[in-house]
Amino acid sequence: MAAGWLFLFAVLYSAALLFGMVFFVIMFSDLESDYINPIDLCNKLNQFVLPEYAAHAFLALLFLLFGQWTAFAFNLPLIAFNVNKVMKKNHMYDATEIFRSLSGHQKETYFKLAFYLLSFFYYLYRMIVALVAENE
Amino acid sequence: MASPAQKLPVGWAAEDNQHQRYLFIETATGATQWDPPASQDGPNVQNTPPVAEPSVHHGKRRQYAAGQTQVYYGGGEAAPDLAYPAPGLQPQAVPGAQLFTPGLVGENQFATQQTHPPPGQSGYYNQAESEYINAPSFGQPPPPYGQAPVDALAGQFGQMGVGGQKQFHLYTTNLLTSPPEPRDLQRPPPEIRLPPNSCISPSPFANAHPSYQRCTLNAIPTTSSLLTKAKIPLALVITPYRSLKEGDEAVPVVTDTVIARCRRCRTYINPYVQFLEGGNRWRCCMCNMTNEVPQLFDWDQVRNQPGDRWSRAELNHSVVEFVAPTEYMVRPPQPAVYIFLIDVSNSAVQSGMVATATRTILENLDRIPDEDGRTKVAIICFDVSLYFFSLPVGSTDSNMLVVSDIDDVFLPKPTDLLVNLAESRASLETLLGRINDMFQENSIIGSALGPALQAGFKLMSPIGGKIVVLSSTLPSVGPGALKNREDPKILGTAKESGLLQAAVPFYKTFAIDCSRAQVSVDMFLFSAAYQDVATLACLPHYTSGQTYYYPAFNAGRTEDAIKFAHEFGEVLAMPIMLEAVMRVRASRGLRMSSFHGNFFVRSTDLLAMPAVPQDQSYAIEIQIEEQINTPFVVMQTAVLHTTCYGERRIRVITLALPTTTILSEVFASADQVAIATLLANKAVERSLTHKLEDSREYVFQKLVEILIAYKTSMTSGGAGASAQLAISENLKMLPVLVLGLLKNVGIRQSAQIPPDIRAYSQALLTSLPSQILIPYIYPTFYALHNMPPEAGTIGENGVILPPALPLTSERLERHGLFLIEDGQTIFLWVGRDAVPQLVQDVFDLPSYDVLRGGKTTLRPLSNPFSERVNAVIQKIREMRRGIYYPHLYIVKEDGEPPLRLWALSALIQDRADVLPSYQQFISSLKDKVITT
Repeated sequence: MAAGWLFLFAVLYSAALLFGMVFFVIMFSDLESDYINPIDLCNKLNQFVLPEYAAHAFLALLFLLFGQWTAFAFNLPLIAFNVNKVMKKNHMYDATEIFRSLSGHQKETYFKLAFYLLSFFYYLYRMIVALVAENE
Repeated sequence: MASPAQKLPVGWAAEDNQHQRYLFIETATGATQWDPPASQDGPNVQNTPPVAEPSVHHGKRRQYAAGQTQVYYGGGEAAPDLAYPAPGLQPQAVPGAQLFTPGLVGENQFATQQTHPPPGQSGYYNQAESEYINAPSFGQPPPPYGQAPVDALAGQFGQMGVGGQKQFHLYTTNLLTSPPEPRDLQRPPPEIRLPPNSCISPSPFANAHPSYQRCTLNAIPTTSSLLTKAKIPLALVITPYRSLKEGDEAVPVVTDTVIARCRRCRTYINPYVQFLEGGNRWRCCMCNMTNEVPQLFDWDQVRNQPGDRWSRAELNHSVVEFVAPTEYMVRPPQPAVYIFLIDVSNSAVQSGMVATATRTILENLDRIPDEDGRTKVAIICFDVSLYFFSLPVGSTDSNMLVVSDIDDVFLPKPTDLLVNLAESRASLETLLGRINDMFQENSIIGSALGPALQAGFKLMSPIGGKIVVLSSTLPSVGPGALKNREDPKILGTAKESGLLQAAVPFYKTFAIDCSRAQVSVDMFLFSAAYQDVATLACLPHYTSGQTYYYPAFNAGRTEDAIKFAHEFGEVLAMPIMLEAVMRVRASRGLRMSSFHGNFFVRSTDLLAMPAVPQDQSYAIEIQIEEQINTPFVVMQTAVLHTTCYGERRIRVITLALPTTTILSEVFASADQVAIATLLANKAVERSLTHKLEDSREYVFQKLVEILIAYKTSMTSGGAGASAQLAISENLKMLPVLVLGLLKNVGIRQSAQIPPDIRAYSQALLTSLPSQILIPYIYPTFYALHNMPPEAGTIGENGVILPPALPLTSERLERHGLFLIEDGQTIFLWVGRDAVPQLVQDVFDLPSYDVLRGGKTTLRPLSNPFSERVNAVIQKIREMRRGIYYPHLYIVKEDGEPPLRLWALSALIQDRADVLPSYQQFISSLKDKVITT
């Protein structure tokens, strides 16, 4: 039973993260087409950077606690990437440099978007598998 | 290209002026009082028969375009120059000999051209639309265009050795056999050869002077693949607010607030647009949009009568200022505001900085721009507390208010802190006279620079303006406190670039707040110890200010005091531009991709500059996004700003460049000075994001790529290749400039350069205009003891300088007197066997042995040699733009080693420690080029 609920939670959770990334993508394209200035953009996005990292880490922690090793391993590379960024202190967006590094940020956001999308379907699959296994 | 004014012989210009006046009186229509060079009608009227009716050229568009392509794509070998063809020039309409036709010298060539219809031209020069609307339709004499002036110009070009042919012929030089020649750097960049009739004005000012705006390539490749093949970076180097030296033409001002702009791309009207439909419409030269000509465009509002369109400044000048109407304002024009933050901690007072600074402000109160009597001033002193001064109007007294709570800065008084300069002049003067005495006994060590900045910001943020920081200690308390992170062990290692980055985010975030509130910060730094220039320089960097650094300043040495007082006085007197935004527009297919310089990038192409100082340079890289189908492209820089006397204005700088599909033209049109300026910017940026090693590698690699590209595409290669390292003549100095850059203090490989010195040098490398930057990376070297008799005397262009020598110590003679200068420092090198007479003449000392090295002021003595030497030094200090007043050091050949090594490090063609000599550098280049 636990696995089913866990993955149901994970599905919803990754959907939320997915939307978070869509928000990032939209903001960056807004910046490109001049609908927002870099200062506002950075102030806005910087509020969400650490919460997003934390949320993702929390989900991975849940997998670890529930013993879902594959799911945990699946998330591990991204955690390492995030931790590395925080350690190097370049996880925040810098308004003075944003235009120079914009393409990099965009690439990263698209990558995360794809990652959350993939994980969304993976969790969905795992949830169904868990529910089916339970019914049998 | 040199200033067109210089190209005209003196006599010719004078004659022209006379005729211009004469013409005006006769026609009595044009009111062009602000625009004298608009029409050079005189000689034309005299020398040429009346140019044919405009109707003649209708329907001949094809041939016309043919001539154009011919010129453009490499025909017309013997073509003399013509950079600015006239409107309605009709090559076919007038018998050959009578009218000069660009690109067409003999009839034969002309015939050849006619038989070759150009591909892809008709799209641009559409027959139906491209009728130039000429002056005659307005009842004016035909647009001026004549043989005499052009011939004169062509002759001038011939003399200058940059004839029109050069553009099309690529002269290959072998770097192995031709040593760098300093004189080559004085040459103007490759000439811009626009296709005929691209410009509607005959004015020699119709294309931007390189000191305002120059491009690394003076012929733009039509595709990005062609650009990639050449490997030369495409970028603009812009100095929009260049100062005017004596003899420079003032920027014409359009005062009637009729500003014609393209509806779609917002380009300002310029000499490269086309008028259509009898002059009622104009077509944008960038996006081809057809726009209405504003109704008042042909109306002279001063005299209230129809005006002459062709005399409008914006159609004749590439650099022009529009007075902006209220649509260009978000608020009424602000007054200029200056807030001085003066460090009064123990070391600052002891070094004499406070005394010198206050005295300089006092002496320059009259020079601070205040034409409209609105300028406001405030003075805040700080050590670990803040000292405000309240200056009530109408009193000569001032009250000092001390704020010790530096964690949460507040203003002790709502009024009287920021006062009107004119109204409170008396109390300001008394205050400035007293500050040094007030803090004379101050024993407090430490600096609350961060809180002082916050206080200054609070005081001025409703208005904006300039904060001038004078600090001689490392900020130690409150927000923005810094630690001494200088560690000799990591100098010269990969970690060194960390020291060049900001240590704390405070100065960056504060800079963003400043930029929003239109506050610009200038930093004057004086510390003898580590002051973290790298971090502090962030603030001027993002607020379009400037950093000035006087290491170990001591006013006890008069040289230090004079240098600082001179430079500080110039900064105060500088007529700054306030709340400016800058945008560069370019023809379709070109996109501004990245920006280097002191400003904050507010959106993809908008640069925010709270206060633009004079003579600051910006580099903008350009991307070719799609194929360019037009025969020429236009790049236009617009700076919307408020002048320091409360007028909203737009300064527009237009540069038109031809396009090309031929690789050899790309090489032949490359501007080595602009390339070096861009590389300096790129190198500094790279040293911050990567490592110093990477930035050097990057610059070197860039040069190697250019050489390889040149070798593979422009030379036959193969067998003879090993014997030469080929580059085009106009890029001959690029290798030595790159070597100079690699050896510059800013990015040099060394474990001995203090991070403060490096950071300051990097700040210079990214903000100096080419004119000052080039000597900074490639110093000038003169021999004074055997200079020609005319050197040091007054010539036609002021004091004549001796010929510059190549930068190698082989030229140093033991009995000689040499001068090496890089625009920031002047070294006077005295050889050890200098004859007593020379020492006596120049230094008023009996012999070499009693001469002392070091910083000095050279007293003019009453003998001809001393007068000439002093004249040369004076000229060096004054000849460039910018406020810098170089120190003079006497360097004895056997004097103290640090100074000697410093002076010798300016001779960049020598080998120094691990840094290669020019020969070694060239051979390492050769190895790289051959092995790949």
